[in-house]
Amino acid sequence: MALTTAQTGLSRARRGVAPGGSGKPANRKSKLSSQTRKTFFWLLLPSVVLLVLIHGYPLVYAGVQATHDGSLLDTGEFVGLENFANVLSSEAFWKAARFTLLFTIVGVFGSWLLGLGLALLLRTKIPAGGLFKVLLLLPWVVPVVVSSTAWNWLVGTPDSLIPSIFRNLGLGTPLFLADPTLAAITVMVFKVWISFPFMMMMTSAALASVDTTVYEAASMDGASRWQQFSQLTLPLIARSTYISWILMTIFCVNDFPTIYLLTGGGPVDATTSLVVLAYRTVFQDFQTGPGVAIAFLMTITLVVVSVILYRQIRKSSVE
Amino acid sequence: MSAVVHAHPQSGPVLGVTGKPNRALSDAGLRGRWWRFALILAITAVVLVPIMVTVVLAVTPGPTSTATGFTLENFGSVFSETLASTWLQNSLITTLSTVTVAVAVAAPAGYVLSRGRSKAVSGYSLLLFVMQSLPIITSVVPLFILFAGMGLVDNLMGLTIIYVGSTMTVATWMMAAYFDSIPISLEEASWIDGCSVFGSFTKVVLRNSLPGVLSTAIFAFLLAWNDYLVAIVFLRSTEIFTLPMGVQSFFQQNQTDWTSVMALAVVMMLPPIIVFAALNKYFSVGGIGGSLAGR
Repeated sequence: MALTTAQTGLSRARRGVAPGGSGKPANRKSKLSSQTRKTFFWLLLPSVVLLVLIHGYPLVYAGVQATHDGSLLDTGEFVGLENFANVLSSEAFWKAARFTLLFTIVGVFGSWLLGLGLALLLRTKIPAGGLFKVLLLLPWVVPVVVSSTAWNWLVGTPDSLIPSIFRNLGLGTPLFLADPTLAAITVMVFKVWISFPFMMMMTSAALASVDTTVYEAASMDGASRWQQFSQLTLPLIARSTYISWILMTIFCVNDFPTIYLLTGGGPVDATTSLVVLAYRTVFQDFQTGPGVAIAFLMTITLVVVSVILYRQIRKSSVE
Repeated sequence: MSAVVHAHPQSGPVLGVTGKPNRALSDAGLRGRWWRFALILAITAVVLVPIMVTVVLAVTPGPTSTATGFTLENFGSVFSETLASTWLQNSLITTLSTVTVAVAVAAPAGYVLSRGRSKAVSGYSLLLFVMQSLPIITSVVPLFILFAGMGLVDNLMGLTIIYVGSTMTVATWMMAAYFDSIPISLEEASWIDGCSVFGSFTKVVLRNSLPGVLSTAIFAFLLAWNDYLVAIVFLRSTEIFTLPMGVQSFFQQNQTDWTSVMALAVVMMLPPIIVFAALNKYFSVGGIGGSLAGR
C-alpha cells in the first residue's frame, strides 16, 4: 500500500513540480520549470528511497507477516485474519490496550498541566528565572536509559532510598515496582517527569508570541485574572496546545523505553503497553504473526487518528 | 496558577508615578516574586533529584573501594573493567553518521517541500507526517528479517540506516519549515544571474540556513544517541553495543554495581547536556522537533 503511494508520489514529482509563481516572462518560466522539475526530482530521490526502504517496505511486509503463522526465520503459511482474531479475543491485548490508553491520557495531560503551570510561572519576573528554565529542561535532555537507572535506584527495591524514607516516616514500605497498581502509577509519574519539559518549551514559545496589550485591555474592562487566563491566554495558545497534545499522544502510544526500562512491563503485566506486548510476543515468545498483528492494529489506529488531526490543524491554520 | 498569568501588565511599579498606593503595590509585587521564586526552587529541586542522585553515586567510592568522600575512580574502573570505551565509540560513530546523513537527505527534500507548489509535494508532505507517527515496532520486525539477510543485524551500519530512516520524516519537515522563512526572491535573483536551481539551493539557500540545519542536527543527534528499542532488537554481541545497551547490561548481573553504572550513566548524559548548553536556542527547536507538524 505504502509502496504504491510512494511510487505515485515519485511519478507525480517527476511530472511537475515548479517553484511558486514568480511573474517572469513565459518563455523563461517554462525553461526554468523543466530544469526545476529535474532538479527537484534528484533532490527528493534519496528521501523517497529511504521512505520506501525504512517505512514503506516494512509496512507492506508487516501486512504479510500479520496474515501468516511464520517466525523470524520463515514466512509460514497464510492464515488470513486468524492472527487478528486471536489477538482481538485475547485478554492480554485488551489489558495492554487499556493500560496504553490510561498511560497516554495521564502522560499527555499530566505533562501538559505541569508544563503549562511552569511556563506561566516562568513568564513572570522571578530571580534567576533563566537558570530555572534551563534546569527544568534536564529531564527531557537526559537519555531515558540514564534516568530510568536513577529511578530504579530510587524506588526499585524495598531498601531503595524512597521506600526507606516512607518506612522511617512510619508509612509502611511501598513496593513501587512490585505492586501492580503502584507500578502503573510509578511508570506514569516517570513519563510525566520526562515529558513535562517538552510541554513547557511548547507553551513558553506560544506564550512568548502572545501580544501583552490584550491583557491591558482586558483588565481595563474588569476581567478577573481567571477570566483573563481562561478566555484570553488559553484560546490564544490553542493551536500550539493542540499540536503539543497530538505529538505527546504519538510519543506516549509509541513509547517503549520508559516502560520497558523501569518495569519490563511487569509486575504480572500491569504495565504492559501495546508496544511492550508486541515486542515480547515477537522477540520473547517468537510468535511473529500475532506480535505484528498487535503492532498493526496500533498502526492503523494511529494512522487514522493522525490523518484526522492533520486535517484539523491544517484547517485551523487556514482560518 | 492564576496568580501568575497577568503579572506582566499589572504587577510591579508603574513607571513615572510615585506615591503610597503604588509603593504598596510594588511591595506586594516583590513579595509575590519571592513566593514564586520559592515555589519554583522547590519544584526544581524535586524534579532534579534523579539527576543529582546519578551524579552523586558516580563520584561515591564503590563497595570495594578504599577511598572516602569524593572520587573519580568509578570512571577509571568502568572504562578499564568493561567495554565502556568501545560502547562510547560505537555510540559516537552511529550518532555522528546519523546526523550527517539525515541532514544530507532531509535538507534537499525539505527544500522541494518548501518550494514545490504541486499536489504531489503536499501529498508527500502528508505521507511523511503519517509515517512519522507510526510505531517503530511495526517496521522493526520486517526490517530485522530484511537486514538479517543482508548481514546488517548486529552491525552499526544497519543501526545507522534505521536511525536515518526514522529521523528523516521529522527532519524533512523541520528543514522545510526553515526554508519557508527564507524569501524566494533571493533564489530568483541568483537564477537571473544564471545560477542553476541546484546551485542556488546550495549556494544561496543552504548557506543562509545554519539555524535550521543545527536544529535538525540536534533532533537527529538526540534520537540516535538515546535510542534503546532499535538497539535492543538489532544488537547482539557486547562489542557492538551502543551506550544505552552498555548501561543496561549492568542490570543483567545479580548484584548491580551502582557506582560503576552511574559513572557510565554520567558519561552517557554528558554529550546531550553539552550540546544543550552550547546550542540552547537551536536545541529548543530541535527538541521540540515536530512542532512543525502543523504546517
